[in-house]
Amino acid sequence: MSRRSALASLGAAGLLLLSGCGGAPTSGPAPGSDQPTAAEAVYAEVDPLTGAARHDRLVELAAQEGNTLSLYTSLNADIADIVVPQFEQATGVHVDVYRADSETVLQRTLQEASAGFAGADVVETNATQMAIIATQGLTGDYEGEQRNKINEQFRYEGWTPTRFNIFAPAWNTNLVRADLVPHRWEDLADPKYDGILSLEVSDYDWYMTLHTYYEQQGMPAADIDRLFADMVQGSKVAKGHSGQVELLSAGEFGVVAASYTYLTNKARVNGAPVDDQPFVEPVVARANGAGLLRSSKHPATAMLFMDWMLNDGQKIILDNGLTPAVMPDGTDPLAGHQVLPVDVQQLIEEGNDWSARYDELVRGGEQLPEK
Amino acid sequence: MATLATRARRPGALARWREVLLRPRTLVAAAITVVVGYLALIPLVYLLWTTFSDAQGFSLGGFARAYGDARIGELVGNSLWFAAGAAVLSLAVGTALAYFNVRTDVPFKALFFAASIIPLIIPGILYTIAWIFLASPTIGLLNSLLEPVLGPGTFDVFTVWGMIWVEGLHLSPIAFLFMVAAFRSTDPSLEESSLMSGATRVQTFRRVTLPLVRPALLSAALIMGVRSLESFEVPALLGLQNGIYVFTSRIYQVLRSFPVDFAGAGALAVGLLAVAALGIWLSNVLSRGHAGGTITGKGFRPRPIDLGRWKPVVGGGILLYFFVTVLAPLMVLLYTALLPYYRPPSAEAFASMNLDNFVAVFNLPSVPTALRNSLVLGGGAATIVMALMAVAAWVVVRSGIPGRQLLDHIAFSPLVIPGLVLGVGIAFVYLRSPLPIYGTLLILLIAYCTRYLPYGMRYAVSGMQTISAELEESAQVSGAGWWSTFRRVLLPLIAPALLAGWVYIFVVSFRELSSSILLYTPGNEVLSISIWELYANARFGELSALGVIMVLVLAVLVAVAYKVGARVGLKS
Repeated sequence: MSRRSALASLGAAGLLLLSGCGGAPTSGPAPGSDQPTAAEAVYAEVDPLTGAARHDRLVELAAQEGNTLSLYTSLNADIADIVVPQFEQATGVHVDVYRADSETVLQRTLQEASAGFAGADVVETNATQMAIIATQGLTGDYEGEQRNKINEQFRYEGWTPTRFNIFAPAWNTNLVRADLVPHRWEDLADPKYDGILSLEVSDYDWYMTLHTYYEQQGMPAADIDRLFADMVQGSKVAKGHSGQVELLSAGEFGVVAASYTYLTNKARVNGAPVDDQPFVEPVVARANGAGLLRSSKHPATAMLFMDWMLNDGQKIILDNGLTPAVMPDGTDPLAGHQVLPVDVQQLIEEGNDWSARYDELVRGGEQLPEK
Repeated sequence: MATLATRARRPGALARWREVLLRPRTLVAAAITVVVGYLALIPLVYLLWTTFSDAQGFSLGGFARAYGDARIGELVGNSLWFAAGAAVLSLAVGTALAYFNVRTDVPFKALFFAASIIPLIIPGILYTIAWIFLASPTIGLLNSLLEPVLGPGTFDVFTVWGMIWVEGLHLSPIAFLFMVAAFRSTDPSLEESSLMSGATRVQTFRRVTLPLVRPALLSAALIMGVRSLESFEVPALLGLQNGIYVFTSRIYQVLRSFPVDFAGAGALAVGLLAVAALGIWLSNVLSRGHAGGTITGKGFRPRPIDLGRWKPVVGGGILLYFFVTVLAPLMVLLYTALLPYYRPPSAEAFASMNLDNFVAVFNLPSVPTALRNSLVLGGGAATIVMALMAVAAWVVVRSGIPGRQLLDHIAFSPLVIPGLVLGVGIAFVYLRSPLPIYGTLLILLIAYCTRYLPYGMRYAVSGMQTISAELEESAQVSGAGWWSTFRRVLLPLIAPALLAGWVYIFVVSFRELSSSILLYTPGNEVLSISIWELYANARFGELSALGVIMVLVLAVLVAVAYKVGARVGLKS
């Protein structure tokens, strides 16, 4: 009888399996079919338009779509809570915001796409996740005047940057005197940072970018590896950039190797003794961006949001301590810096290897010198 | 001839079977099994399916990737050490406290309530960070207090012992809730007889009291062990700093890769599942030796044992425990909540204090909705799970229905399934279901019920195991049907265990994040998402303020639950 119950449960399992039909559910959704969707027709119609004609046409179409929009984003709550109401006020569109970390935004988007469920009109998240969504063929084409103003290194196919995350060393100004302030990434390998430097456990994109940069500079691989090993030597490994900055403010760490500049800035604004100026060059920058979904039920509203985000939205982003993709005056926010963009394609293709290598590397961080 | 005889008997056998199958108790048992099976099997089947298949079909690649890693031995070693340590600490502390609370005239009984609930309410991330602020060798408050006496860095929270300490203390309320229910349900006259027969108190505790509560002890040990094996915040915040990696760090890492290696994560989870199944089996085998129920038909009135001259010592211990698990972390939270950013105490720090963080929390647009949704979901999930489990526990412990143990195993499986996988599994099914459940609060309720089935099951089963079958039998002999026996005899007797389970689920559901964040829709936010947002934005002051508010709100609600529960439960 025990066998019978086992059989019954197997039967139930089988039914469930059948209902899904076929391969593993997480092997990714089938790449979008080549047939243009209704949303894509709208994108194609509006893409060539410019100026007032474009805006008016989008407003007209958005009204026909019911002036509602579904946005999936990993934008911080405190920024999204400013950006979204301002967009709603400017356009009269009601926005439903789903907010989560970038991995979850990706999972949700992929799961919904694989079930043919039209959840989001616009997805806004980190570069890697945006690139995955775009390479799965889930996003449509977006062209426009503002997009053309973005630094060429960051104009990706299928999605458009809306802001940058910049990695830069940050330090506690009470603990780090002028002679300890780092000026180059290589400085962090100096033994004088032993015991006070902190690395983050999942910063493999930063590691990959810097490593590749040194390779391109002609540095021998052994030297690059030694450089990073020296950084890790005597370092404290933290989980999560936000917790890392909190512990930096509290004096648990003296220097954070690759802090997000907006987090450092926020702590500084709150009065914490932290700084990252002047930035260590070259600046490592990763784009965050948005894409219009091919399955969107409100494609014109989605485009209206995108246009607004790359215009007025950029000022809000700037005013709140983030780095916009385009400055409000249309210039490049990274101008004047030597910029190392995190190579998104490389991240998708080699990310797992770099993740494993970085993981191995930071495990060397356990030997804290006893003092 | 033999065939003929069998054939002749068959109609009678069939009729008997039909009668057995159509009995109300069988039907109820079947219905509950179907519901529990449905809830638990969706994520389990999804997990197994993704673990054993890839785009081509059946595959064991996930296992190769998960266990082929050269570091896996070290991972498993660290995990087991950490889990066993935390389980032993929380069990020892929880059992001792429960014993003193239920059985003795220990002072400060009111503190027990706070000590049993508050660590559960404080989100794991905050509890861990509070301990960093207390016991970090660099910035720990306790270390700076002790520095003049013992020198710098007396405590180091960034070690396996530190991890065990924090996790063990954070878990000890679960053990306490379990053991209080168990001690309330055992007959103290057995202990009294032992004492009168000349045994010392220690002998009595070891040879009478502990064996009496063995089922609950085993259940608690099982949950504690598995919970610490899959605990995330403590290993992530305390372990990584010195390179101490555990199982869950690995699962987390695997789930971050792309394409997300669900097979690899699943293979690790299947490993945990095997450990858990072994645990359940062991716990059932060991309980089998248990003399059965200790609540019998004979009347018993728990009479508190006089601690005599030990009273001040035990009282001091209780105060110390209260300070360490509740007051110190809570004070650090309050301190952090009042500062613009965290810094060690100083005149300047105190001068900079204000209530901005509390004001900011109340001004967060999503917080009122989130609080309401969390209350609805927590209350709903706790009630549904405990109602289901009251019957399921009867099926497992009492019904004698063949194959009933399977229900126990199935109900336990959600405990080891990583939250994200559970969420994805549920999303997968309801995205394809014709019922309009995806995108509503209902899908979160389903996820919560699934996640907390195992806890409900352990609480209810351990409660049921302490009740002697003779009570049920005498009710039936007196002509009561199954339902009235269940409702009027069993239910009141296991009420303490059910209430403890309810409180636990209600409180911890406020912390559920990994599946909530995947499944919620705008307007259906829950409090754990607000907590995550504050954490992700490094708003620790506001996060601490929210933590303090949650402790206040939930403590009041739980107090009300206990008051109401006391009326239906055992009068003590």
